[in-house]
Amino acid sequence: MKLSINKSRSLWWAISCAIILAGIISMVISWQNPNIRAPLRPSLDFVGGTRLQFERDCNKPGNCDKPIDINVVREVAKAQGLGDSSIQIVADKDTRKENGILIRTKNLDREQRIKLQTALSEKVGAFDEQKNQIDTVGPTLGRELFNSGIIALVVSFIGIIVYLTFRFQLDYAIFAIVALLHDVLVTMGMFSIFGLAFGTEVDSLFIVSLLTITGFSVNDTVVIYDRIRETLKTNSNQKITEIVDDAVNQTLGRSINTTFTTMLPLFAIFLFGGETLKNFALALIIGFTAGAYSSIFIASTLLTLWRERTGKYTVGEATGVTDTSVE
Amino acid sequence: MERQRSLLALILILVIAALAFSWRFPAPLGLDLRGGSQLTIEVKPTAEIPQITERELDGVKKVVEGRINSLGVSEPIIQTVGTNKVLVQLPGVNDPEQAERVLGGTAQLEFRLQKPSTETQLLAFQASRAQLKAKQEELRKSQDQAAINKNLEDLKNNNQAIADLFESTKPPLDGKYLTDAYGEPTRQGNNWNVAIRFNQKGGELFAELTKNLAGTGRSIGIFLDNELISAPVVGVEFASAGITGGSAIITGRFTAQQANDLGVQLRGGALPVPVEIAEIRTVGATLGQDSIKTSIYAGIGGLILVLIFMVVYYRLPGLIADIALIVYAILTWASFCLLNVTLTLPGIAGFILSIGMAVDANVLIFERTREELRAGKSLYRSVESGFYRAFSSILDGNITTVIACAALFYLGAGLVKGFALTLALGVAVSMFSAITCSRSLMFVAISIPALRKPELFCPNLPNSGASNQAEVAK
Repeated sequence: MKLSINKSRSLWWAISCAIILAGIISMVISWQNPNIRAPLRPSLDFVGGTRLQFERDCNKPGNCDKPIDINVVREVAKAQGLGDSSIQIVADKDTRKENGILIRTKNLDREQRIKLQTALSEKVGAFDEQKNQIDTVGPTLGRELFNSGIIALVVSFIGIIVYLTFRFQLDYAIFAIVALLHDVLVTMGMFSIFGLAFGTEVDSLFIVSLLTITGFSVNDTVVIYDRIRETLKTNSNQKITEIVDDAVNQTLGRSINTTFTTMLPLFAIFLFGGETLKNFALALIIGFTAGAYSSIFIASTLLTLWRERTGKYTVGEATGVTDTSVE
Repeated sequence: MERQRSLLALILILVIAALAFSWRFPAPLGLDLRGGSQLTIEVKPTAEIPQITERELDGVKKVVEGRINSLGVSEPIIQTVGTNKVLVQLPGVNDPEQAERVLGGTAQLEFRLQKPSTETQLLAFQASRAQLKAKQEELRKSQDQAAINKNLEDLKNNNQAIADLFESTKPPLDGKYLTDAYGEPTRQGNNWNVAIRFNQKGGELFAELTKNLAGTGRSIGIFLDNELISAPVVGVEFASAGITGGSAIITGRFTAQQANDLGVQLRGGALPVPVEIAEIRTVGATLGQDSIKTSIYAGIGGLILVLIFMVVYYRLPGLIADIALIVYAILTWASFCLLNVTLTLPGIAGFILSIGMAVDANVLIFERTREELRAGKSLYRSVESGFYRAFSSILDGNITTVIACAALFYLGAGLVKGFALTLALGVAVSMFSAITCSRSLMFVAISIPALRKPELFCPNLPNSGASNQAEVAK
């Protein structure tokens, strides 16, 4: 099997554009949505507030006989002036029965929180203290977290450009970053859609996943670039389209296997791992898939197009060559 | 071949040492895994102090430390974060209510007057306090919560007894009058003193206080959050007017460390900066246990699939890669233990992910080896150039990952840092294991005649047979 990726490159670009466009539309819709007011549905980490998760103690006799009535929980919250909180009934891991309550509200202080907790346990049953999860985040902290995440992303982009310019050439570096932006946009777009469709929230781990995707995706691109550079050195008269096509094909087995072996543990975590890591694993799965795609179909085809247009077919003519071993 | 053998012996020793080390000194678990509360305290600037500097932050940290110790939590972690925050981790605390109450307020520093004829009592109480404190340190290691609480109760009573020996001046001379406090060496240079400075009003109150005490042998009680932190006496030469001018020096054969500590405590108590609890996260103990269990099972499950895939797809080299991967996992885990990396859930995810990614180096090498074999090169040459030619890709790929990790580590906080560190360590160790371990094993393998068959390295080789076999022998 041999792929001629450059032959149908407008198709690859169209696929990517369509996915990214869908994501951007979703981000705009989500921005307009009065309940979200952001491109992606932000979690407590970014907007601040209090999140309470309680689980009933089923070791006590009779405590878990009746299922939790979400309306009762809403009543209790409303009575304390927390009517606009988001309330969910969640299943616990062991019994798969819906014994947990998840409440997200505005910032509660200690007294308000305890009042709510006491009122709830009176209505629905005693909670297991060992399974409580209480998070309170001030809004300033969230903004800081968000900003530092964005800065980290920008800094690593610059770092990667500098490194790749030094190891390869500036145009390689720029297209690698285009591929990176592609992967980041695809992941963000998908999560924006999930946010609209299933209420999926993005937390600080999402920023971590974006950065990991960055590292992984560029890794993939570099392997193909490495091959292109190597062929350019030995066959400088060959057409750039062929060189790139060959390079992609020669590294295809590796690309598929590496993506596959990285995905295996990710799928395992996504399917069976702890609750906190599910969305993290999902973001990585989407990002890594986009990364493999963009390295093969985007970064390389863009490089071909650019070299065709500028006439930089060979290493000899290129500027800023770092490799001195060229004959 | 000698060289490969000794390298393998070295790796074996490393693995055994790593196993022994990680068994003996396991990496500490983060709060999200063991359960507990984490509070972030933000120090707010005011009109007088528009910029929070390290000095203020250290002061606040000292005060927070004092208060946390009074709660009797075992193994608390208190550290400054960024430019204006103090992070407090309280393992095992499921309800941060008490900590929240204790940590929220501003520190109370006060200079008090010792009541007449209480000198011997004070000495006795101070002696028993020293004993109780030493005992507290010991108990904290034992983690016997009941005994810790009992001892804490004794300490509290002792503190109150000491506080009862002092009385406030009128008006009270508290932290708001103090402008500065710092340790400085004595003129002879062999000891340290603590210098304190008051504003004008404070200077007057201090002169009054010292005038009353001078030459009596009674001391000034310096209290922080109602606990006596220092009790200097005033010399008889100040009996007429007290210590005037708004500055004083506490002498007492301090070491540099002690003088600095006292200075920081005084400054912390004098802090006019308000603190606010910016974040509280509490994870129930069993909740943490659940997530660690499922995540580890999932990770190991995924890993086993990777190992199987490698053998099925790459045959003999796949098996070698598997051994290298296991070596990788053991060494990386040991390096977490060695560096005392606190394991959080994202950290463990980073570790599992790095195992998946560590395969990449081997995949690159083996793909390259297969290509060379298909091109008709000898087995030995193919393996050699597989390693040689894949190296630059491996290096480039890993360095870009490390760049992303470095950005995360320097700019991120808390959980994010843990993830970046574990991933970067994983990448570093994977370079070592892929290049050294797989390489040595591979060369040892092809030195064994029974394993020297190209089909074991690459199935469906076009002309596997005569030419390859012949060349191998060289």
